[in-house]
Amino acid sequence: MDFWQEIIMALSRNKLRTSLTGFAISWGIFILIVLLSAGNGIMNGISAEFSDKSQNTYMIYGGETSKPYMGHGTNRSIRFSDKDIWFLENGFRNVDQVSPRIYLNGFATFNDKSGSIFLQGVKPVFKEINTIKMSEGRFVNELDEKNREKYIVIDKSLCNKLFDEEASPLGQFVIINGIAFKIVGVWEGDVDSNGSNGYVPFSTLKKITNQRHYYMLHFTTKGLETKEDNEAYTDYLRTQLAHLHEFDPDDQAAVYILSSQEEYRQTMKILHTLELFIWIIGFAMLISGIVGVSNIMRITVKERTNEIGIRKAIGAKSRSILTSIVTESMIITTIFGYIGMWLGMVVAEVGGNILSKVQEGKSISLNIVPAIDIRIVLMATALLIVCGILAGFFPARNAVKIKPIEAINYR
Amino acid sequence: MIRLENINKTYFGAQPLHVLKGINLHIKEGEMVSIMGASGSGKSTLLNILGILDNYDSGDYYLNDKLVKNLTENQAADMRNQLIGFIFQSFNLIPFKTAMENVALPLYYQNVNRKKRNQLAMEYLERFGLKEWADHYPNELSGGQKQRVSMARALVTKPKIILADEPTGALDSKTSAEVMQILREVHHTGITMVIVTHERGIALRTDKIIHLKDGVIEDIEINDFDTINLNSDIK
Repeated sequence: MDFWQEIIMALSRNKLRTSLTGFAISWGIFILIVLLSAGNGIMNGISAEFSDKSQNTYMIYGGETSKPYMGHGTNRSIRFSDKDIWFLENGFRNVDQVSPRIYLNGFATFNDKSGSIFLQGVKPVFKEINTIKMSEGRFVNELDEKNREKYIVIDKSLCNKLFDEEASPLGQFVIINGIAFKIVGVWEGDVDSNGSNGYVPFSTLKKITNQRHYYMLHFTTKGLETKEDNEAYTDYLRTQLAHLHEFDPDDQAAVYILSSQEEYRQTMKILHTLELFIWIIGFAMLISGIVGVSNIMRITVKERTNEIGIRKAIGAKSRSILTSIVTESMIITTIFGYIGMWLGMVVAEVGGNILSKVQEGKSISLNIVPAIDIRIVLMATALLIVCGILAGFFPARNAVKIKPIEAINYR
Repeated sequence: MIRLENINKTYFGAQPLHVLKGINLHIKEGEMVSIMGASGSGKSTLLNILGILDNYDSGDYYLNDKLVKNLTENQAADMRNQLIGFIFQSFNLIPFKTAMENVALPLYYQNVNRKKRNQLAMEYLERFGLKEWADHYPNELSGGQKQRVSMARALVTKPKIILADEPTGALDSKTSAEVMQILREVHHTGITMVIVTHERGIALRTDKIIHLKDGVIEDIEINDFDTINLNSDIK
């Protein structure tokens, strides 16, 4: 009780100085919290994005061989065909559904309006593989695939380009490279991750373009649970494809195999690096705050040398002086740190609300909302206390070292 | 009460300074002694050693029959707190504490509880006629009042010894006389008192005057109170 009164007295003696010092700490913690919650938001958004892809999917695409094998030279392009699809569906283990992907660039017109279009021919399962969210109508289905229907699903921005707001695009025909396609659906948002803004059944586009070789194959899997499963399966895939296409199973460049789990892990790895980076920046900010507090404590101790001498002369022990100075510094850092932390949390919270309002209805695929994590708060608290002790300790130790008589005569 | 045997002290600076060159001194319990000497004679150093504020190089110093040598800082702090009361020329009150808080501070370091502390502090302030000034800060007090507060602070722990370093150095002659009057009264309660001064008028009001010159005791003068008019001007 008395101890705390002494401390409060000492701190309130120079309010301006105490608050200026505290500001440095508040600012450091504020920035740290805002940065971390933004980082956290990005993490959450991306995690959510991945969790939408509930299925474990694989993507394989052809490269060029880098090793000679069985009489073949290097730099041989590997492309997939219906044979690969058949083997995937009927021969390989753990495969659920397959969708190849083929492309066509073109120009879409409706009445007097037009826009460029990048068509992809895919199978119905591709909707799940690429987590396509429909805003109107439906995606292409098995029947369309079987009957090679000239049906098309377009993205929102192409839809807005071709149609007035009131008019429903469903059932309308757009002309693409002289062929009429009936619109059966519109998906939310912009072009997909491949830059495509229109999907048609695979069989339809295959017939139109007469493509026999496919650059990319997608498929969903079943029964692969762990990281080890996935790694083993990737090796298995490569070996099997090496058999089919006669390339060295150790040739990493011949085909590229990417699993969504692997992709998730890779992304998370990058994000964790980002988080570490944020901690480093935030910590650097905080260090300047600590140096500030330490400096002020040094000046305070210098100013109070005389007082410390008097206290020693009338019986104060070194330890009581040491503890009181360290406690003072701890109180400055903790109180002002909490102010900064609180402000940071308010900003993150308000920013989060505004962002989610803005994103509402706008159908942005990534939902980045700053989020406070209790772990961050606890870590920051521990950090503050440690910083307070560090900032106070060295000046306090110097203060205690002075002989009482020198301190009393100090001017 | 105080026994010094062959005390030596050298300050090691750019030019080593041998300040005390073998001091032998015995001050009995209840004595009131003054130390006089020109500046540089070592009188302040001697007082600091007596007050365990400074250490000495060789010799032995017995305080209250205990050897004061190689003490840890905490032991020194305890001895100061329990045995010694200090009165300084520049008062050395803590500026942001009221008169009462200043007086109560030594008791804080004895872990006396707040109520008891304040009660004792008030008693001592009252004794020195400062009851109405208890809530005032040092900068609101006159020099004489400040010195009386510092005397109250020195006495509040009921020390065995009062060490005063030029207690009247910053005061005018009238206030000096008052302060000396109080010190004499305190002395009559049986407290041993050592006063460093360069004013003969002050020294004459003590039992013994120890003359220090160049780090040695030159002479000890015994005052005969019958021949001194205590009401004569101090300066």
